[in-house]
Amino acid sequence: MIPNPLQPRAYVAYLALAALLLLPIATQSPFVIHLAIQVCVFAALASAWNIVGGFAGQLSLGHAVYYGIGSYAAGLLVLHFGISPWVGMFAGVGVSALVALVIAYPTLRLRGPFFSLASIAFLEVARLLVNHEEAWTHGAGGLNVPLQIGLKWMIFREKWAYLLVAFGFLMVVLWICRAIRHSRFGYYLIAVREREDAARAIGINPVRVKIAAAVISACLTSLIGSFHGMYLTFIEPSSAFSLELSIQIAMFALIGGLGTVAGPVLGTVVVLPIAELARGWLSAFGNGTHGFVYGVVLVAVVLFFPRGLVGQLGGRVTQWIDKLPDFARARRVTVASLPTAVRATASAGEPILKVDKIEKRFGGLKATDKVSLTLHEGEILGVIGPNGAGKTTVFNQLSGFLRPDGGTVTIRDAAGHWSAPRSPEGFARAGVGRTFQIVQPFAGLTVLENLLLGAFMRTKGRDEAEALARSVAELTELTPLLDTEARSLTVGGMKRLEIARALATSPRVLLLDEVLAGLNPADVARAIVMIRRIRDSGVSVLMIEHLMQATMALSDRIVVIHLGKVLKEGLPAEVANDVEVIQAYLGKGYTHAQGS
Amino acid sequence: MSLLLQLVANGLLLGGAFAIISIGLTLIFGVVRVVNFAHGEFLMVGMYVAWLCASRLGLHPYAAVPIVVVFLFVMGAAMQRYVIQSLLSADAHIQVFATVGISTALLNLALLMFGADIRKVEFAFGNQNLSIGSLTFVSGQVITFVVAIVVAFAMHFYLTRTYTGRAFRALAQNRTAAALMGVDVNKTYVFAFGIGAALVGIASCLLTLQYPVFPTVGTYFVLTAFVIVVLGGMGSLPGAVIGSMFIGLIDSLAGFYVGPDLKEVVYFVIFLVILIVRPTGLFGLGRGSE
Amino acid sequence: MLKALRRVAASLGIAFTLVGAPAHAQELKLGALYPFSGGLALLGDESFRGVQLAVDERNAAGGINGRQITLVKADAVDASQAVGEARRLTSVEKVAAVFGSYASGISQAATQVTELAGVPYFELGATADTITGRGFKYLFRVNPTAKNIGDRTLEGLVKVVAPMLKVDPKTLKLAIIHEDGPYGSLVAAAQKEGAAKLGIPVVEVQAYSAKTVDLSSVILRLKGAGADVVLHTAYQNDAVLFFRQAAAAGYKPKAVIGGGGGYSLADTAQAVGAPIEGVYDVDFPQITMNAAGAPGLGDFVAAYQKKFSSAPRSGHSLANYVGAKAMLEVLARAKSTDKDKIRDAALAYRAAVGSTAAGWGIQFNETGQNTAATLNLMQWQQGKLVTVFPEAVANAKPIASN
Repeated sequence: MIPNPLQPRAYVAYLALAALLLLPIATQSPFVIHLAIQVCVFAALASAWNIVGGFAGQLSLGHAVYYGIGSYAAGLLVLHFGISPWVGMFAGVGVSALVALVIAYPTLRLRGPFFSLASIAFLEVARLLVNHEEAWTHGAGGLNVPLQIGLKWMIFREKWAYLLVAFGFLMVVLWICRAIRHSRFGYYLIAVREREDAARAIGINPVRVKIAAAVISACLTSLIGSFHGMYLTFIEPSSAFSLELSIQIAMFALIGGLGTVAGPVLGTVVVLPIAELARGWLSAFGNGTHGFVYGVVLVAVVLFFPRGLVGQLGGRVTQWIDKLPDFARARRVTVASLPTAVRATASAGEPILKVDKIEKRFGGLKATDKVSLTLHEGEILGVIGPNGAGKTTVFNQLSGFLRPDGGTVTIRDAAGHWSAPRSPEGFARAGVGRTFQIVQPFAGLTVLENLLLGAFMRTKGRDEAEALARSVAELTELTPLLDTEARSLTVGGMKRLEIARALATSPRVLLLDEVLAGLNPADVARAIVMIRRIRDSGVSVLMIEHLMQATMALSDRIVVIHLGKVLKEGLPAEVANDVEVIQAYLGKGYTHAQGS
Repeated sequence: MSLLLQLVANGLLLGGAFAIISIGLTLIFGVVRVVNFAHGEFLMVGMYVAWLCASRLGLHPYAAVPIVVVFLFVMGAAMQRYVIQSLLSADAHIQVFATVGISTALLNLALLMFGADIRKVEFAFGNQNLSIGSLTFVSGQVITFVVAIVVAFAMHFYLTRTYTGRAFRALAQNRTAAALMGVDVNKTYVFAFGIGAALVGIASCLLTLQYPVFPTVGTYFVLTAFVIVVLGGMGSLPGAVIGSMFIGLIDSLAGFYVGPDLKEVVYFVIFLVILIVRPTGLFGLGRGSE
Repeated sequence: MLKALRRVAASLGIAFTLVGAPAHAQELKLGALYPFSGGLALLGDESFRGVQLAVDERNAAGGINGRQITLVKADAVDASQAVGEARRLTSVEKVAAVFGSYASGISQAATQVTELAGVPYFELGATADTITGRGFKYLFRVNPTAKNIGDRTLEGLVKVVAPMLKVDPKTLKLAIIHEDGPYGSLVAAAQKEGAAKLGIPVVEVQAYSAKTVDLSSVILRLKGAGADVVLHTAYQNDAVLFFRQAAAAGYKPKAVIGGGGGYSLADTAQAVGAPIEGVYDVDFPQITMNAAGAPGLGDFVAAYQKKFSSAPRSGHSLANYVGAKAMLEVLARAKSTDKDKIRDAALAYRAAVGSTAAGWGIQFNETGQNTAATLNLMQWQQGKLVTVFPEAVANAKPIASN
């Protein structure tokens, strides 16, 4: 849980953080300590924001609503009931969690600027209501926290005591962020952020994941808000529920690097002191000078570090850090073997996926017209048909991305029970893995991390998942590429990754959607060998393909779909010579030409 | 009854003012896909230029339109060319913050150059109080409303009938495909940003007659403009106009029946409800993604 | 990026050296914490000008016990910045005392810092009553409070406005409208309380956002309620908006009494135009007063004109000038920068009403509030804000607003 301090990355981080705490205290200057306190507070806020904005990818510009709730909760409880802010802040956490649920659930479907503006709308509503309800919030005049000195009241005469507390909060937030980033929850967040459909196909429930992120982030932000309220000792609606504050914390996270643990802290450490010092330093010149300089510096930083400081410099810095001595013993990672082949058991050859007269209409178009087929355990079933026949639509209904208007799709589990899943996550958990026609890798993650994501569905610990991931990589010839970022792979590599990630979910049925498209002949040959290996390991395969020779070579049986209906079903040789099939693919002219 | 009519009239006229600001914003949103936080400051700069034309050259703001429009076109185009363009391949979020920086810089530059004093232009034309029956309004408001509608139609015509307009729409839908079709992406973006800013220039001139100008004036309009654009659907001109009318009406009616300090709560809540039901806004296309 | 880093390093370097550097023996550093940027920039700057003039005058007369005064400017727009700048002033610049701050929120936050740091704070313009309600020992406020504004408004209504309208004040229907920030809210609350005490009916109380671009609905409500007298606490933009839209809607109340803020600014009057004629305003003393009740006023205006090449833009510079001047005298009498000696000197300092350029007296009570500070009732007459009440400082008779 706590990073091993003997490893270079960990001890460098610890040293840097310790510097943040100890250097200001060494200067004995209340102003420098104040700066450090502000840095800790804003770095913590930015890190908490990052859980939603970076990990989950939703640019919330109204996060100050939780900060305000935290400030007011602690402040009001101290003022009216004499309750210590250490207790009051948890009241704030409770309210913030509730508010986060209320906000997150309806805004889940919103993306990009829509989400951002919705978050701003919630913030403004909160501010206006708090401003209006003077009776219990003290309204626009604000409330003064009584200056009772002592740990119990979170008010200290010595400034370094504040810094200690602020630093403590920062550590808590960072620890939680790091835990999230390296846990499966963190990976789920990234997966949902990058490719929600692909995430669902490997069994992730995006709604639950996003809401969890929102609530965690809200609670942490609220805690910081409570502390900061006690630090400033004056709480008013426009500062507590401030749009500028929301934008600022998002900006620090962005400048530092979204989606990383160090990013928000770095962004805050770089930008905040500049802003504060500029104000102090440049106030002597014309009014507005410091604001102007700040704006210009901001633009400059953004232009020079568009991927954030961590994104831009992170690679080189971590390389340099990794060269430092490592005092920990290297972890040994085992490569597990895949779950034992099902083929050997008695149920080989039995139906495993039954599709019974499914129908799908889009407006007036009947895309799927009473299609029935059965996939048997251990077989490779090829699905072919001319373009626009509706093959992918059928696939989408076999994996939960489309709900059939009629008919059923049932799948048998290892114990022999038949079930009819309804959502993509449901199908994934029932044992259906799939690839997408347009590959959907999690671009920013490494190949290993992509596979881990798939493996998480059925494994418990990280080590177990990693073992499974590595064995899947062996099966799909991805082992040399494990540490490469998915976005740098070739088309062939991405397709193999697509298959491997689906395999990592330990499926019983694998749906392959045109995985051979766009590959050169050498890659096609390798892919054929790989698909056979997959089948031999106990996975039943249903594949859509256009490459006739490959399909004929691989498939045990073939189903032909034309105009949404099953045209023909049978052994490859039978289907290949069937007149109707030839007509459907090549048109009547060809058969006539053949005939004559 | 006449009270209700007056409230509706006030709302629609206010909507006209917002419409003219929002049209430029929705164009930039829709085509370049950038959330331009500096939009309010464009308005402020335009208003200062209009005021300068009035106080130094004696020009009526309506007459200053060509000057302001050209000035803002250049400003918008420059912003796209020198700032946003380099960030086009970066995270969308990063682009947003470049605009935040520009917004802060412009606001404080105005404070530096002109001080915090409010400046007002004094002209009779466009400022007459008119009345029809018991309905009262200001001539400038009606002119703004009419101009907003005219500009909306003109932009619609431009977008659907001209090559550049179609290029805008193509870029809005699929940047890569448009590039493959021969659209010079960078040049077109620069032009689009320029046009969006120029439209704000028209708004500046119209509004300078009714509102005083000071460095932070942009912040008074920008949040509402964003709400309108998102509500109406990003990139949708009819959305911007109808959204403006809608918000204007709520502003006026809620301001009277609920209370002026809570009227924003009303329209934010309505805004949220609409977004929840239609995540892409009233006239938006697509699945709610950028 | 590198440039910024270099600047940071330089600033940090400066900060560190300042921490160690001893104060120059001949100069006395005093802080000035105001909102110099942001939405309140205009009046923050105007307030500061008053302090500057007081310091210039004192320095020309030999400084404080032979030491020349240096003002250290600090810009704060919100509570967070106020705390930061207060810390900078007290711990980096090591000022002997701080002048401030026009805005109540900034004052509240900054004074919490200075009180704990033991640095005296001289409030010269912020009006929230709670500022001096916290039992602080090293905080002194020279100017009157929001409650005073409320009281004076009602007094003005009863003694001047109602007689001018030739009606019994209790028959007047009052409407109180205000911007929803701390300033407007606190003054409005005081006005409401005052009206209730006097038995004058209040038919509408409306708060609106200071950043509003439309007040037409508010005006329709006032019209519908038949409000005779409008008490309006506003900044510039909303004051201008009110008159413009009231004219457009054909609403002309019998009288309008502003609560300072935008109503006291020459800018506003110019922007409003003709409708400002006859509008009343309750605020800190303005420069158009009867000099007999405000000795030194003429010199102040002359000094302002000379230094800033224009007439004062509002009464805030005068208020801050008088306040700063008084506190500089207190500092001189304390003969020390020790906070307790300064407190003793402040509590002991007395000036009679009518002896300062604002017509104020000086007498601090235990909470640090000057009980001899007054507000005046002004009226816009022919583009000038003249004082019509109280008699001692009035330089014009009230006119009927048609």
